[in-house]
Amino acid sequence: MDYTMEDTQNSAPDALEATKLNSSTQRNDTQSVTKRLQAELMQLMLSPSPGISAFPDADGNLLSWTATITGPTETPYDGLTLKLSFAFPNNYPYSPPTVLFKTPIYHPNVDFSGRICLDILKDKWSAVYNVQSVLLSLQSLLGEPNNASPLNAQAAEIWDSDQEEFKRHVLARHKDLDDE
Amino acid sequence: MLSTAPLVAGRRRVFGSVFSPASLEARPPFASSYDNDQNLTASFQSSSTVQTDSFAPPYQNADNTSTRQASKEAWSAATAYLCIPDRGFTHIYESRGTDGSEALKDSSRLSPPSKETGEALAYLTASAQHGQTSGQKDLFEWYGDEMRRHFLTNLRGGLHELLKSSEEEGLLRTIVDCLQLARRIYLAPIVHYVMPLIPVAEQGRVLTQLQRVFHTVVSYSLSWEHIATLLAGELARDALVILGIDTLLENSESESNGHDGMDIDRQYSVSYEYWVDASPETRALIMIEGELPHITVTRDQLLAFLNGLQLVGFGGDKAQKVFASVMNIMMSEFVRAAYNKRWKRPTAVAQHLRHWVENVFSRLAVQVLAIIHTPPVGNPLPGALDVSFGDVEQWQEIAIARLGALRTSELFDVIVEWPLSSGAIEDLRHFTTHPAARTHVTQTFIVLLTQRLLHPGASTVQILQLYISIIRAFHLLDPKGVLLDRIARPIRRYLRERDDTVRVIVGGLLADPCATAATEPSSMPSSGETLAELATELTRAHQLSLNQNKSEMDWNDMNWMPDPVDAAPDYRKSKSSDVIDSLISLFDSKETFVKELQTLLGDRLLQKREDYDQEISVLELLKVRFGDSALQACEVMLRDISDSRRVDAVVRNDQGFNKPPSRMTSRRIPRPDIPELHTKILSRFFWPEIQDQEFKIPDEIRSMQEKYSAGFESLKQSRKLTWRNGLGQVAVELELGDRTFAEEVTTWQATIIYAFQGDSEEPITKTVSELASALEMTVPLVRSACLFWVSKRILAETHRDSFRVLETLPTENEQGPGGDTGSMAEDEAPVGDAAAAAEAAAAAAAKETAEAAAMEKMNLYWQFIVGMLTNQGAMPLQRIVMMLKIVVPGGFPFSNEELREFLAGMVTRGKLEIASGGNYKLVH
Repeated sequence: MDYTMEDTQNSAPDALEATKLNSSTQRNDTQSVTKRLQAELMQLMLSPSPGISAFPDADGNLLSWTATITGPTETPYDGLTLKLSFAFPNNYPYSPPTVLFKTPIYHPNVDFSGRICLDILKDKWSAVYNVQSVLLSLQSLLGEPNNASPLNAQAAEIWDSDQEEFKRHVLARHKDLDDE
Repeated sequence: MLSTAPLVAGRRRVFGSVFSPASLEARPPFASSYDNDQNLTASFQSSSTVQTDSFAPPYQNADNTSTRQASKEAWSAATAYLCIPDRGFTHIYESRGTDGSEALKDSSRLSPPSKETGEALAYLTASAQHGQTSGQKDLFEWYGDEMRRHFLTNLRGGLHELLKSSEEEGLLRTIVDCLQLARRIYLAPIVHYVMPLIPVAEQGRVLTQLQRVFHTVVSYSLSWEHIATLLAGELARDALVILGIDTLLENSESESNGHDGMDIDRQYSVSYEYWVDASPETRALIMIEGELPHITVTRDQLLAFLNGLQLVGFGGDKAQKVFASVMNIMMSEFVRAAYNKRWKRPTAVAQHLRHWVENVFSRLAVQVLAIIHTPPVGNPLPGALDVSFGDVEQWQEIAIARLGALRTSELFDVIVEWPLSSGAIEDLRHFTTHPAARTHVTQTFIVLLTQRLLHPGASTVQILQLYISIIRAFHLLDPKGVLLDRIARPIRRYLRERDDTVRVIVGGLLADPCATAATEPSSMPSSGETLAELATELTRAHQLSLNQNKSEMDWNDMNWMPDPVDAAPDYRKSKSSDVIDSLISLFDSKETFVKELQTLLGDRLLQKREDYDQEISVLELLKVRFGDSALQACEVMLRDISDSRRVDAVVRNDQGFNKPPSRMTSRRIPRPDIPELHTKILSRFFWPEIQDQEFKIPDEIRSMQEKYSAGFESLKQSRKLTWRNGLGQVAVELELGDRTFAEEVTTWQATIIYAFQGDSEEPITKTVSELASALEMTVPLVRSACLFWVSKRILAETHRDSFRVLETLPTENEQGPGGDTGSMAEDEAPVGDAAAAAEAAAAAAAKETAEAAAMEKMNLYWQFIVGMLTNQGAMPLQRIVMMLKIVVPGGFPFSNEELREFLAGMVTRGKLEIASGGNYKLVH
């Protein structure tokens, strides 16, 4: 809790640098976004949840993050490492972040360019959600896809009919990004 | 180089036009008369051949030819008489000391002209009165040439030699004497014998003309630069005495020898101390009456010398310039000599200085300037002075400015000496009356500050101490606070950079003013680690602020003044003299300050004491400044302590610990009885992080704690106790074979000694590792506690890390050589060392906890690094550091090297690996 107090001082250099160019209304926004994201990062670091992890990108701008989900056991994704990208809008947390799977994934609710169909990332978004809760939702989505509104209809079909076949598809599509 | 030849020639031509080229050869009188003749011929064109026997006045003689003849003869007679014999320089040099009559006689300057010559002179001079001015003019013109010739051939070389000779005192005086003698030789016959022959009206003009000739030739022969330096030296030497500066300098040197002369009834002195001690009536007279004899002598000598100088042509505005520059230096000298380091209060330095300028400085100036006036003085009214009263006033202003400059250069030392030096600040007030002076003061002072204070060599306490003095001093200097505002900026900026500034300030605020007042009677700079003055200031400032509650918005304030013109644009009048406010406002937010206050308050509240009135009062005073909400946590902390007392009593009563509660103690372990347990119950949320050593406490105590906890939980439902075993004090009473021991120690020290408890007769021996594992205590802490008991002579270290109870103290003879006591004696002897070792061990233990805390922090950073490397892939060190700096709140406090070391540790632990290109990578 102490850390949030110091946020203002710490975020100042970068935030100011960036916002000097922008108009004054935006400045406040960006600053509060940065502050919020920093607090979220701190929370993630202090109480890490197993299987999920996230960190800001190296461009020094806290508005884009990379996250990693380890596939939950007893799902077809067991042991796989899945990377995601988070892009936060300027009015975060009042609008949801744009989340994409970077690692190619075979999943009923994810299309082939990595777009995700998840209600809390769309119309059900609320400001009380955060990076951690989004990642946890995605982690559970891996085990329990919402086949009612599939983006990948074939995957939804196979999921329902043949788990073995599904797993084969998953492994065929999966490709670790680490080597890049 | 090329142009020198024509230049020299040109110069020669210029000189030649002033000094006739023939002047170096003795001009035969007849040749002159021939010239004269030519002139006469030109003037009188009609010629006749009438001759007269004697030189009849021309008006009696109508014949022009006879006139011509007569004038020719008169001319030769007169010139023969007036011609100056060439006696060389040595002649004059040797007789310079005499009254000169000898020399005059030698040069036949005093012998009256013979009758004929007299008539000839009369004839030549008289011709002027009838319009034939040429004759008379020519005689004097000729004489001017003659003087010039004589001077150049006889004196010039000698004087040159003299000037070039190594400078010695009085050289200029010798030269002036010589020149004066020469002047007398030249002018004596004219003054004595020729002057009476011409009309009074003409006399002045002729004399001036001859004088001018003399002055020109003198200044031509001797270079002025040389003379000026000599003159400056001469003037300075005498002025030092006359203005009394030499005595001041001597006094300050011999001050330690005691003043023997102080009992003289009323003494002439320009010394400031003497003047200040005198009554107002005598003050007015001190510098006017009773001038010391040697000063009078010097003054007379100087004036006589200047008289001579003026006569021989070195006076005038050139000499005035030299005099002015000398007096300029003298004024600075006097200010420095008289007032250097004299900062006492009340000050009358400014009045004294004005008085001195008026009565001593101006007096000399008037006297000197009356002599070396510029030659064409016009017709000075008798009694009119060359120095007007306005001049004196101006000099006084200059002197005050000098005083200001002196005080400005001393300002840093003045501040260091504050408040004993407040007089100096008052002096400075006379100076800082216009913006330029104020800027000068602030700028000089800021330079001094950066040189002498704002560097790593000065401790924060010193800087703060001086800052407080500066605030007070500048408040006196400039109540509006504009100067302070300017001075304070660099100090404040610097203080903000220091890490321990907050700690020092808070420590100072919480210090006990009564204790320090006792040890340091005057509010001198507290030299120690704390700034106890702040505590005093806090209470005082509060009382003050109750009295005066003025603001800028007070419309009824009839004494309102606008801010000075040199105020900075963002200048805002603060409660300028309020030291506390200035210090607290150093920081942008109150939070840092409050946080530090919490930590320090926490430490102090955990100490066992009867009451905490000091803390409570400080907190109340700070609340006035910060507002209640900011200090809420501190408030809760204080409440906790007072509540604990009540709760403790209730719980103890309920749980049947009701021994009569003797004193406020945390825990108590008297061996035979049941120990007493007292607690302080802290609300965890409001207390700062407390570093704690965890260990197992004796079962006896633990059972009591459990009972106590149960009691507390029944009293305050939904609240739980977490025991902090590392904090607290224990009153220990030990019964040993030959003695008992009672002292208050820390909990861990008590736990260790408790472990040595046993009923057997044999002294118990335990090793550090045994104790550490049994009590779940860290090894350094165990060792520190053991060493503590060794220093108290309860335990003895038999072998390394193995301790035994010292049931009976070894007596003197037991400490004899040999035997197993020998080794013990070895350990026993340096009890002081053991104490020191115990302290060192305790410090080491404390350091360990600090390191553990740092490690804990490092663990947090490790989380960041893991997150980073998981999501962003392998990274080089540089990039990791950069990212950490961006994302870690509060900044990343470690250097690249420290991080590299940490990461290397992780690599050896197998958590990281170094991939290609020095990238760090997580091991899955």
